[in-house]
Amino acid sequence: MAEYQNLFTQVQVRHAPDPGVGIPDPENRGKLAGFSGLLGRIGDAQIGPIHLGWLGILSIITGGLSIVIMGLVMWSSVGWDPVQFVRQLPWLAVEPPAPEYGLSIPPLNEGGWWILCGALLTTAIGLWWCRMYARARALGMGTHVAWAFAAAIWLYLVLGFIRPVLMGEWAQAVPFGIFPHLDWTAAFSIRYGNLFYNPFHMLSIAFLYGSALLFAMHAGTILAAAKMGAEREVDQITDRGTAAERSQLFWRWTMGFNATMESIHRWAWWFAVLTVITGGIGIVLTGTAVDNWYLWGQKHGLVPDYPEVWADPAYPVQPGELEGPWQTPPPEGFPGLDTSFRDGGLLPGTDIRLTFADVALNAESIR
Amino acid sequence: MKKQLLILSAAGALLAIQACELPPVETSQLGFRGVGMEHVANPSTLQDSMESVAARIPQLAGAPDAEMEPAPAGTWENVQYLGHLSEAEFNRTMLAMTAWVAQETGQGCNYCHVIEDDGTVNFVSDDIYTKVVSRDMIRMTQDLNANYPEHVGETGVNCWTCHMGEVLPNNYWFYAADGERDLERYYVNEGARQTERYLLDQEAIRVISDQALTGDTENTSSIQDTEYAYWVMIQMSKDLGVNCTYCHTTARFSDWDESPPQRVTALRGVGMVRHANAEYMLPLQDEWPANRLGPMGDGPKIQCATCHNGAFQPQYGAEASHATEWPAFQVLGPPHNGAGADADDGDEDTEDGEN
Repeated sequence: MAEYQNLFTQVQVRHAPDPGVGIPDPENRGKLAGFSGLLGRIGDAQIGPIHLGWLGILSIITGGLSIVIMGLVMWSSVGWDPVQFVRQLPWLAVEPPAPEYGLSIPPLNEGGWWILCGALLTTAIGLWWCRMYARARALGMGTHVAWAFAAAIWLYLVLGFIRPVLMGEWAQAVPFGIFPHLDWTAAFSIRYGNLFYNPFHMLSIAFLYGSALLFAMHAGTILAAAKMGAEREVDQITDRGTAAERSQLFWRWTMGFNATMESIHRWAWWFAVLTVITGGIGIVLTGTAVDNWYLWGQKHGLVPDYPEVWADPAYPVQPGELEGPWQTPPPEGFPGLDTSFRDGGLLPGTDIRLTFADVALNAESIR
Repeated sequence: MKKQLLILSAAGALLAIQACELPPVETSQLGFRGVGMEHVANPSTLQDSMESVAARIPQLAGAPDAEMEPAPAGTWENVQYLGHLSEAEFNRTMLAMTAWVAQETGQGCNYCHVIEDDGTVNFVSDDIYTKVVSRDMIRMTQDLNANYPEHVGETGVNCWTCHMGEVLPNNYWFYAADGERDLERYYVNEGARQTERYLLDQEAIRVISDQALTGDTENTSSIQDTEYAYWVMIQMSKDLGVNCTYCHTTARFSDWDESPPQRVTALRGVGMVRHANAEYMLPLQDEWPANRLGPMGDGPKIQCATCHNGAFQPQYGAEASHATEWPAFQVLGPPHNGAGADADDGDEDTEDGEN
């Protein structure tokens, strides 16, 4: 007798690929389908048929173009050196325009590429959303997945479009790049006085951690009762079998309350969706309304007044010593500071005289 | 299959362990409870580092001349900043400088002083650039010790603090060459641009508002400004081998009342480095030979790590690196009477840098 295990299925059935349920479908459905033994170990062994449609094709073209442009911009930033491109990829970025450009369209090399990549990527994501919606409708399903995806798109648009527009400069947006976008996150929190004190950030974290907790509780429950057929969850919504009875009693025993086979999925869906909805609200308020979340927290009783526990410096602080201006674009020059050297210098080992600007604008030509 | 997996995971585990320090790591609470003010350090790593630093410091013979009278006029020629020394102390200082800076070259006095064709040493000549640079570096050391006690304390600094027996200190920096972000040579990359803005252009670094609401503050600092500030701060943290909490309350970086006093010391150090770069390093630009210049053709400049070398206190405060035993470096020394042409009278502008 074949052994049945639902974690990494060990028995794979081979047959003619299953085309799926017969539904009226005005578009051509892809006919390509096959099997993958390796993927069959962690999921369904059948691959395809995939339905791409014109939404999918356009989405892949715009998204692919966006990624390719990002890659080329990053590659050009290391002087088209393939080795450096691979080595430094995690640090390379497509940066948004500088603050001076406001919401105008800058030259390509000064943030224009970022706008182009962003527009293409947003188009791709939008088309992909439409595709999710249309496919769900075509199958006669609800559109829960599309709306959950829309919640994520809300946060994406807040970060890259809505908030920058409200702030009046593209420079506020997130750069493309592996570490650069993480650096942005750190800088954003620091600039606005510690995002941990933003109540919407708190809510977002609560829903995020809550999602993980619910995911673990639900997945654990279903796996634990799988040998009684618990993974056939939808059946059990209408016809509770012993798996549902046992797992629900398990939670009533351990915490006095249980979700139903259906409601647990509503819990999970709302926790996941609220993570990004509350997060987006928190971001959109930052800098537009609130400039320092720590001080905002102090004002509203969120943060206690901590006692001053530190000793004075050995050399006492002079009046005004700790005061200083805000960081702003650099002044023309400081009194007593000779920077005339930067106007020119000899290229090491040669007689070629270069100005600082020459070198900065023309890195390739002198290599 | 299972055997392969086992071998792979064993190899992976070995690799992971390679990246770890030997425990225990000690965490000590520095500030008020619950605010995350903790210092994390590995005592054995720190102990090793301190011992190796201390072991490198040369034990130089002789003690400072207790009742030092300046050398009589005409003793030397072309001595511009050490006129306050007796002849004995002067010679002791010169020998020490040879050990501190030129030891590895094996050239001795000749690293700075010209040897004539007949084999005698011409101590007067300024023909070797290292002598000109050394003179300015002596002046800089005197300036830092005399005018920045709030950063260098009573211990002060001497040549060893930065040079550690080598002609080039470890952590100097140059202007960044565009398009060549070299990850190995950390200081010749994108980051050097931020160092340049902070320590050379003396740009402000404050970005966090002093008001809760946007409408109540004139702070227009951008995310890019913050990234610059962030880079400079992380750089400083590496330079000193400390966490953010060494100087800041983590919940609120900008607040002085809730900051440890070290932050004030560090701020004064920033002023000191800016002063040293502007008054001593930049003016030396024309003296450097080509092999001492950076990718943009500029001379070396200093930053926190040049003295600190990854330690919260340079040389971990080892006594042999103090200036207390070296009268040569404690005051802005006058020129020696009878000095050669164009002796500087040494009225350097020593006003503090801002912010």
